[in-house]
This record gives sequence, structure tokens and C-alpha cells, in this order.
Amino acid sequence: MARRKADLAVVGRDQPRLDGADKLTGRSLFTDDVVLPGMLVGKVVRSPHARARILSIDTSAARALPGVKAVITHAEAAKVVIGINQPLFRSDTVNYIGDEVAAVAAVDEATAARAAALVRVEYEPLPPLPTIDAALADGAPILHAKAEGNLAWQSAEDRGDPDAGFGAAATIREDTYTTHASHNCYAEFHAVVADWSRPERLTVWTPTQTALLYQKSIARSLGLTDGAVRLMTLNTGGGFTGRTSARPHHFVAALLSRQAGRPVKIRASADEEFIVCRAGGEVRYRYRTGVDADGRILAFEADLLFDTGAYVETQMIVTTLTAAYIHTLYKVDATRYRGRLVHTNNIPYYFHHGGGIAQMAFGLGLHMDALARQLGMDPVDFHLKNMVTEGHTSLTGTYFASCGLGECIRRATKQAGWKRKYGRQKPLRGIGLGIGAMASGAKGVFRHDTSAAFIKVMDDGTMTLFVGLPDMGQSSHTAMAIIAAEVLGAEVADITVVSGDTDITPLDVGAFTQRGTFNTGNAVKAAALDARRQLEVTAAAQLDCRRSQLVFRGREVCSQAAPDRRVPLKKIIYDTLHSREGRFVMGRGFYNSPKESGTMAYSFGAQVAEVSIDPDSGVITVERVVVAHDVGRAINPRIVEGQMDGQVFSGMSQVLYEETLLEDGQVLNPSRLDYKMPRSYEMPRVEHIIVESIDPFGPFGAKEVGEGPIVCTVPAIANAVANALGVPVTEMPIAPWKVLRLLGRRGGKGG
Amino acid sequence: MQLPPFDYAVPRNLAEAVDRLAASAGNAAALAGGTDLLVNLKYRLVAPAALVAIRGLPELRGVRDGAGGGLDIGAGELLADLLEHPRIAALGGLHAAIRAVGSQHIRNLGTLGGNLCLPTRCWYTNQSEAWRTARTPCWKTEGLVCHVIPSSTTCRALNSADTAPMLVALGASLVLRGPRGERALPLADFYQDDGVNQHTLQPGELIVRVLVPAVAGRSAFRKLAARTGLDYGYASVAGVAIGPARRPRELRVVAGSVASRPVRLRHAEALVLERGLTPETIEAAAEATRADLGEVTNLFSPPGYKKRVVRGLVAKLLADLATTKERAA
Repeated sequence: MARRKADLAVVGRDQPRLDGADKLTGRSLFTDDVVLPGMLVGKVVRSPHARARILSIDTSAARALPGVKAVITHAEAAKVVIGINQPLFRSDTVNYIGDEVAAVAAVDEATAARAAALVRVEYEPLPPLPTIDAALADGAPILHAKAEGNLAWQSAEDRGDPDAGFGAAATIREDTYTTHASHNCYAEFHAVVADWSRPERLTVWTPTQTALLYQKSIARSLGLTDGAVRLMTLNTGGGFTGRTSARPHHFVAALLSRQAGRPVKIRASADEEFIVCRAGGEVRYRYRTGVDADGRILAFEADLLFDTGAYVETQMIVTTLTAAYIHTLYKVDATRYRGRLVHTNNIPYYFHHGGGIAQMAFGLGLHMDALARQLGMDPVDFHLKNMVTEGHTSLTGTYFASCGLGECIRRATKQAGWKRKYGRQKPLRGIGLGIGAMASGAKGVFRHDTSAAFIKVMDDGTMTLFVGLPDMGQSSHTAMAIIAAEVLGAEVADITVVSGDTDITPLDVGAFTQRGTFNTGNAVKAAALDARRQLEVTAAAQLDCRRSQLVFRGREVCSQAAPDRRVPLKKIIYDTLHSREGRFVMGRGFYNSPKESGTMAYSFGAQVAEVSIDPDSGVITVERVVVAHDVGRAINPRIVEGQMDGQVFSGMSQVLYEETLLEDGQVLNPSRLDYKMPRSYEMPRVEHIIVESIDPFGPFGAKEVGEGPIVCTVPAIANAVANALGVPVTEMPIAPWKVLRLLGRRGGKGG
Repeated sequence: MQLPPFDYAVPRNLAEAVDRLAASAGNAAALAGGTDLLVNLKYRLVAPAALVAIRGLPELRGVRDGAGGGLDIGAGELLADLLEHPRIAALGGLHAAIRAVGSQHIRNLGTLGGNLCLPTRCWYTNQSEAWRTARTPCWKTEGLVCHVIPSSTTCRALNSADTAPMLVALGASLVLRGPRGERALPLADFYQDDGVNQHTLQPGELIVRVLVPAVAGRSAFRKLAARTGLDYGYASVAGVAIGPARRPRELRVVAGSVASRPVRLRHAEALVLERGLTPETIEAAAEATRADLGEVTNLFSPPGYKKRVVRGLVAKLLADLATTKERAA
């Protein structure tokens, strides 16, 4: 049974972040802070051509340079393959500007840079395929022999009977949209330190969202056992689904270290960051929806065409995630999905924000809004009529045990004054609604969606919690400490959280697919309960009651029957250790979704954005965003609001600002100066509404809040802009010159 | 990215600095705030053998009363300090232009002379050495082509120094000191429309003072960028009007971030001087800026958009000039 808020002592109260003071005062350590005796600096030699044949590679001059300790090429790394079809180093052709050809390690950065420049590679440049259209054109050269027509991957799937659904539809609407390439813009650049100086042991320091998957893929590729690879993460400066598998630089650093017999550090330079990070490429979306005379969705079709870049690493997963997304928002009887990945000579693309769903939500939100208007319906009524509800089972087999979507829509629109404003505003002022849903965890994507936790209880009342979940800024350590403190009747300050060392911390799939609070939270709760059971023996004897009557709260233990007689928790722990048994209290727990496939819980949200547009410049100002999100239960409301703020900012940035500009395969704006992100000055007023549906499976009812809000922000702002302009919006980002074009003003050309 | 090795000289006074720069025969760079120079060194856009620190040289400091009630500003004055100066606060347009440079952090280090010497920028050249190897060299990197406008016989990189159009509009001049002594030069003549040789500073020469004449009129500055601060503008405009608010006798309007140097918008000026500063003429003058801009480069935003932004900014600027009560002291 879910406990009422009043019954909870720690959960649901604002707690400062455990790492807040260290982050603010610069004490937090990151991978670049790792400096080891004898450590070398590694540098990758990259292709300057978007597409070329390698005629020869001559490393002799680089090897001869004093201070150079290792030089590797394809010959040393033939077995390592990144993703599906990217060899670690190229030996025959290069397929994008930045493709790895060789790597060097030297005593310092200047020597490494000189050595890299001394690696002589002779190329025969070939005409590149810089766009989806070029790659799909008749007679286009084929970049990968196995990818006929440059189609790297295709998936197609019907659920229900879409032909019948469209056949029965009273209205069918079809729209197309494009989202352009964008970048994750991490606070912490990509970096790695690898120490493989002893052949039997490889230690890797790197920021990651998942030490487990890095450890496994590094071990497998390099012919080591999992246990021989120790993955260390100090802090991770941002995730955004972009640090979920080991990348070329991890293998490069390890192989350089093995050859040199010394530790090697590689860190991405500012512009290399755009090559290493990869983020998301251009996607073209075609959506088609059929509704009956009452506006109920009968059938939905999505056809997505992705620029996957030079190689395929994660984008086939993006196609499956986006295929299922519609079923988490609407009750739909039939769907048809097609996803195609096209090889080009652009950067090989990777996950970006919600596995592609934030991008997908742009067009999907605009499409459904336009459909509602075409039907003469208020979008609010359209969503309320079609949305999933608690107890619904979708065509994909997902059962929604909790769902606060309706409450989110009603409360956000009420607070924003939707009825008063929608359709009644001055020209160039707009209001838009965006709704979204997001899974907590991803059973099925992983065979087991497992998290584990240990807790060590000291006889001074302090505790150490061991988790494999990295804190990458989302404040998960604090959330985990809150959950443990609640169960054990401790305070958050009593708990130290240890993570980031695979030799010490228990298994955890990691901090992605929004699984931290739900999965690791459940594991922590189980571990804390295990520890509490060990203390209950002592406490029940001292308080003369049954174990089930015990209350652990506020560093004290009492019996429900006699709440005035309280024993300090510290004394119970002490007496347990110093009993005849001499029991040292340690709890352990794990959680894995009991379902075969699919997550147990979804967060839901609705946001209302208000924008104004300057007709002279086309500049869009987001003035206000009302955020309502069903997080199940807010473990730490202050951090939930922080997640809402961060995602509103990032969503606004995606819709209005960010674009990786490419010309012939080369990134024109690989810097924080020229890749435009807004600053805090552009942050709109954000109003927070936390909706708590108390999920029956979540720890204390909690669900994710790590990606759910942004998939609502993106369509909310897009719809507000379309509403202000009065014409369809089809492209993201909506740069100011595109706004002028949509307004039919001069100056909009050439974008 | 790391700095290349260089010699570092710390002269005690201006004469020593000039001697040191002259002695290196053009292979030394003056280091003031370093907010641009150090970045460009890391990008290997410049490779001087020596840096000559001119921070804190006494001859480059101080804001003094200039001739005829004007202002005499040391080129080495920090932008942040200038914002605090009461006489600059009284020159609303100049204050706004200085405030538009970079961010607080950059203004804490950057100097007025440094901003006036801000190198032109282009996204084909302002990149790392590794990035540039993917393209053939251009006019700026000792090649024979412009990647922005392939038919162009000169470099079309943009001058985006925020204070430059404002000081040109104010009729400012520079006091320069070089191996052959001191000379004065109107700021408008300091710049030329060539992204490689954007100004006429001779080897070994330094900007010592910036002289702003007394302006019995109003000044204003407007800039539009993708975000607030820490950004170069899509465009900026600066204006000075002298005479009755509705009937200025003298008017100078200058645009920045549209070419390799600040561009006087003479058609717009002439129209207002002829017909007065009314809502109708403001619209017409804003429209007339298209004739002044000519071919605008496709850098950082589409050229048509830049023209549109200038048009919008000029309309707002002229409205500012028609209503501002401020009189430059």
C-alpha cells in the first residue's frame, strides 16, 4: 500500500543535493582530474576527407619522434568494431571527416600533437554523400557493401489492422516534418584515462551513464574477462543518452596503454567534441492519422527516414523506441510504422535526448494539434478524448498501472488560462499545448533491467550506500539516500553514497532509459529493508513488541503501540553489533522488472507554452511555460522542479536554437560560440505542477522525471509558435529567418 | 587545444613596448586582455614568435577630458571599468555598445583598443588547425579563394567589434604610436573592407588613445544576436544625431557585423537629413539601408536575414534617436 505523504519522514521533502557544495566550490572530481604516474597523452589521427580511399599509412616518422611511446593503426585493432559496422581504425576507406585512421601516445600533449601530424596518410578523395537525398539518388555510390541503396537498416511493423482503420476513418490527415542535426553540449567533454600497463588488468576512468555496458563491451572487444576490466567514474558531466556505450576513444586509449605499458589519457578538444559525441542527425517524419466522426483515433502511421551518418551504432534502437512511442500517449487501434536509416558521409549519429523521442515529439505534437483544429476541436479536448488512461493496455502490450495524464492536461491548461487565451490572442502571440510520456526503465531493450544495491550500517548511526548508478547531474545519489533514509528511519545526512567503481559497486544497467529512480530506487529500498529486518530483531526485543509494529523514523525506533517510548536508532545498531551474535548490519537488494518485456511505469506530462514573435527580426520569445508532470511520487520535489526547469530550457533550445550546421560533411559550427544555445537570460518563466499518481510498482510510488518533461516542452513550444504564426511549422529548429519566411517577409530566404 | 610556445616580454612603458614590437619585425603580437588573441593562438590562426604584454602600460590608461570637451580614453582601459565611468555612462550609445561586448568575464579582461582590433571572423577560418586541413586554404589562410563567396577576390570575413560602429558614428579618432612616432587617424579610416587586412595598423604600431569629440547630440546603439550576450551579432547599428530631435542637422548611422569593416548607412542618413526624423521617414530610411549594404556575406546567418535585421535595427535606432533626451557631455 502506498503510504500517505504525512506518513513519510524524508521522501517528498526538499533535500539539498549531497554533492551541491562540492560542485559549486569546484571540489568535485572528473576524469580530466585523474593524473597517474607516467601517464601519456593520446591523440587520434582523423580523416580530413568526408570520403576517400586510403592509399597508404606511414607511421615511421611519428614513431621516430622522441617522446612518442605508442602508435597504433588498424593492424593493432582489427578485432574492435564499434556498433554494427565501424572498425576502430580505417584501413581501406574513410567515410566522414573525423574518421579514425591512427592514434599516438606521447609524453605530453604537444608531442602527441606533433606525432599525430607526422602520421602520413595518402588519400584518394572520392565524392561524398553529404545528404539523405544524395545517398538515395539513383547511381549514388554505395558506402557499405551490405547496405544496398545506402539503406543501413529498415524496420516495418503493423499492429492491429491499419488498412481497416484508415478505411473506416471519417478524416485522414497527413503531414511531414524535418528535424536537423544537433549536439548534446555536455558540461564535461569526452575524456578517458586507460591503464593497461599490466596485461591481466585494464582500468578505465571515464564519464559514463552505464559502467556495466562499458565494462562488458571493452572486455569483449579486447579479449578480457569482465572482471579484468575495472570501470571508474568520478563524476559524469551530463548524459542525455549520449554516454551509453563505449566509444572509439575508450578502445584507443586502452590499446595505446597496452602498447606503451603506461596509462594514457585522451580528451576531446572543443571541435573534436562534435565528432566524438555524434548526437542526432537529420530525421524526416511523415505522420498520417485517421479519426472517426467523433475525433477518435482509429489508425496512425509513421514513416521515418534517418540520416544515420557514416556508420550505424545506436540508430536502429532509436527506430524501435520511436515506433512504440505513439502507444504510450494515445489509445490507438491500429498502427503502421516504417523506419529507415540512410548512410551518408556525415558524422555517425548516436542517441540524443530520450532516444530520439524529443525530436519525434516535435512533428507528432504539431500533427495532432493540426488534426484537432482540422476537426474543429480544441486540442485539449482531442488529447483528453484519445489519451491513455490508468488500467489501459496498449497494442504493444504495455499496461499502465498509473497514469496522471488527464490530470496534467487539466491542471496545466487551467493554470495557464488556456480557455481564455487559445484562439483569442493578438497576432504574433501564441499558446501551445504539448503532452508526452516516458518509460521508467527499458526491460526488453536489455535482457534484464537489473539494478542492485548494498547498504552498510555503522554503529555510530551512519550508513554507506553502494550503488552502480552514476550521478551525472540528475541528483540520483541524493534520491537514493532519501529512499534508504526513509526506510531505515535515518536522515539523508547520515548516508554516504558510493558509486563509480565496478570493483566495489554492485551491478546496475545504469542511468539511462530513465531507470534510476524506478529500478535502482527499488533496489535501494529492498537493500534498506533487508538491513532494517536485521535491526528489527534487536528493536522488537527492546521495545517489547512485534516486529511489524516497529516504526523507524527520525533516527529513532518505537512501537506503534507506545509511540512515546523511543530508542535511538544508533543504540539499536550498536546493540545489534555488540550482541552475543555480533551482527554487523548489511543490507542487499536488487530489482528487475518482473515483466518479460516493457517497463512497469510511465511518467506523463502536459505543458502549456506561451510565445511572442518580433515581426522585424523573427525572434521568438518564450514567455511562460506551465509544466504539469505525473512523476508518481516526488522523492525530492526541489530536484523534480529542477528537472522540469532544465528540460524546459533544453527543449526550448532544441526547438528554437540548436543546429549542427553541416557542409559537405563538415561541421561549420563546432564550438559553443557558433553552435547557438541560449543562456539563462532566455529562460522563460516556468511554473511547476507536480502530479503524484502513486505508481504501485515505483519506490514509494515514484516514476521517472529525467526525460519526460522535455518530450512535452518540444511540442508545447512548437505548437505555440504555429499558433502565433497562424501557418504550419515543419522544421526544427525554428530559426528566426525561417520565421520571417513563414510570415512571408523579405529576409527569410536563404535559410 | 594548447597554446604554442612563444617568448613573452613585459615592457615597462610604451616606448619599450613599441621598440620590442618593432624589433621582432612583425613577428610579435601585443597582448592586452588576450580574450581573442589567446583563442586564436590555440586555433593556430596566428603564430607570433613573441607576445608583448601591454596590459597596464600607464600611457594606455585613464579616461581624461579631451580637447574641446571631448573624451580621451586610454586604449588599454578595461571595458568593465569604462562602463563604470560617469562620462561614458552619459554617452548612452557608447555605454550600450561596450555593454554588448562578450560577457561580464570578457569585459573584465578585454580592453577598448583590443575590441577595436578584434580580428574579422569566418566559420571557414576560425576553426582548429585539424578542422582547416579538410579544406583548401582561403584568402585568410594564404590561399586564393573565398569559401563564403567563391567569386570574391578578397576575404569577406566579418568585423563584429561592437564598439567600432559606435565610435565611428561618434566621429572618434585614434592616437597611434609606432616606430616612426605618433600619428592621429580618424577611426573610419582605420578600417578597410578586406577581411585579411581589416585595419591599417602598421607593424609595431599600437592604439594608444581613443579620442571621442564632444557631441552636442544623441547617441544610440542596437544589436541583435542569437542570444543575450556571449555572442557576435547578426548585426548591430550605431547612430548619432545632432540638432533638433525631429530635424537633425547631422546624422551618422553605422552598421556592424555586415562586412569586413563598419559600414556607414549613407542612404538612410541622407533620407532623414532631407525629410526629418518622423515615423514615416524612419520606415523609409530603414528600407534605404538595403542600398548601403550591397552584397552581404553568407556568414553565421543568411545574407537576406542580415539585411532584414539591419532594417529592423535601424528603425528602432532612429526611433531611439528621435526620443532620447540625453545630450552627450
